[in-house]
Amino acid sequence: MQEDWTAVNDIVVTVFGALVLAGALLTVVERDPYRKLISLGIMIGGAIPFIVDRGLLDVAIAVALIAPLSTLFILMVCRKGEQ
Amino acid sequence: MNPQDTALAACAVIAVYAAIRVALEPDTLRKLPFLNVLSFAVAGSIALILPHPLSLVAAAAYFVGTTLESNAIASTYAGGLDRRE
Amino acid sequence: MNPEFILGLVLLLGGTIASAFPVPRTYLNRLINLEIPAWGLLLLMLSYNEALALLTFGGVSALSVYIFIRVIQKKEASG
Repeated sequence: MQEDWTAVNDIVVTVFGALVLAGALLTVVERDPYRKLISLGIMIGGAIPFIVDRGLLDVAIAVALIAPLSTLFILMVCRKGEQ
Repeated sequence: MNPQDTALAACAVIAVYAAIRVALEPDTLRKLPFLNVLSFAVAGSIALILPHPLSLVAAAAYFVGTTLESNAIASTYAGGLDRRE
Repeated sequence: MNPEFILGLVLLLGGTIASAFPVPRTYLNRLINLEIPAWGLLLLMLSYNEALALLTFGGVSALSVYIFIRVIQKKEASG
């Protein structure tokens, strides 16, 4: 059982850590605000499974509901002509 | 490997593939379906990481939030909200 | 030194540098790059198992983004 648990944890850490790093790097590199927001979505999708992996499920629910709100706030400034 | 680990590994592979496709896509509007695929895979792996009833609620919350975010990006990029000004 | 700690440090340092020197120097790019150190700090708090700090920081981060958006809108309206 312990071996299985470490195997699962290893998959989670490797894959979602790579997702977090790739999303952050793409967010820095991109120039268009919409493409930056899409890359930020990749980074958020990689960061939330770490919270679930620690067992803080109530925090994970709250963060997963609050995180799109900040993206919606940023989208209030983005316009079609500005890119 | 029990079936739960196999399903988690499949979800992780789908997430990495969708992330690579999002990163290499030159068209901005064509990135968004692959962002949805990534969100589905991450929501599935959130539900599969911990065998706890509340993790299903966390996966549902993440699913709702990220679908809303992706649709908002697509709607603003297509100019749906700023048409009347 | 668990993986969350290292990942949070990398995100915090890289995101701070990227937010200080954004490539097109606009306020919007600076604000989007400011999201990266926020998530890095959240991962750092996660590595110390501070659940209440995580909840508070998540709420206040979204609120501060809204305040910055209002500031940018006022600055763009005034010229």
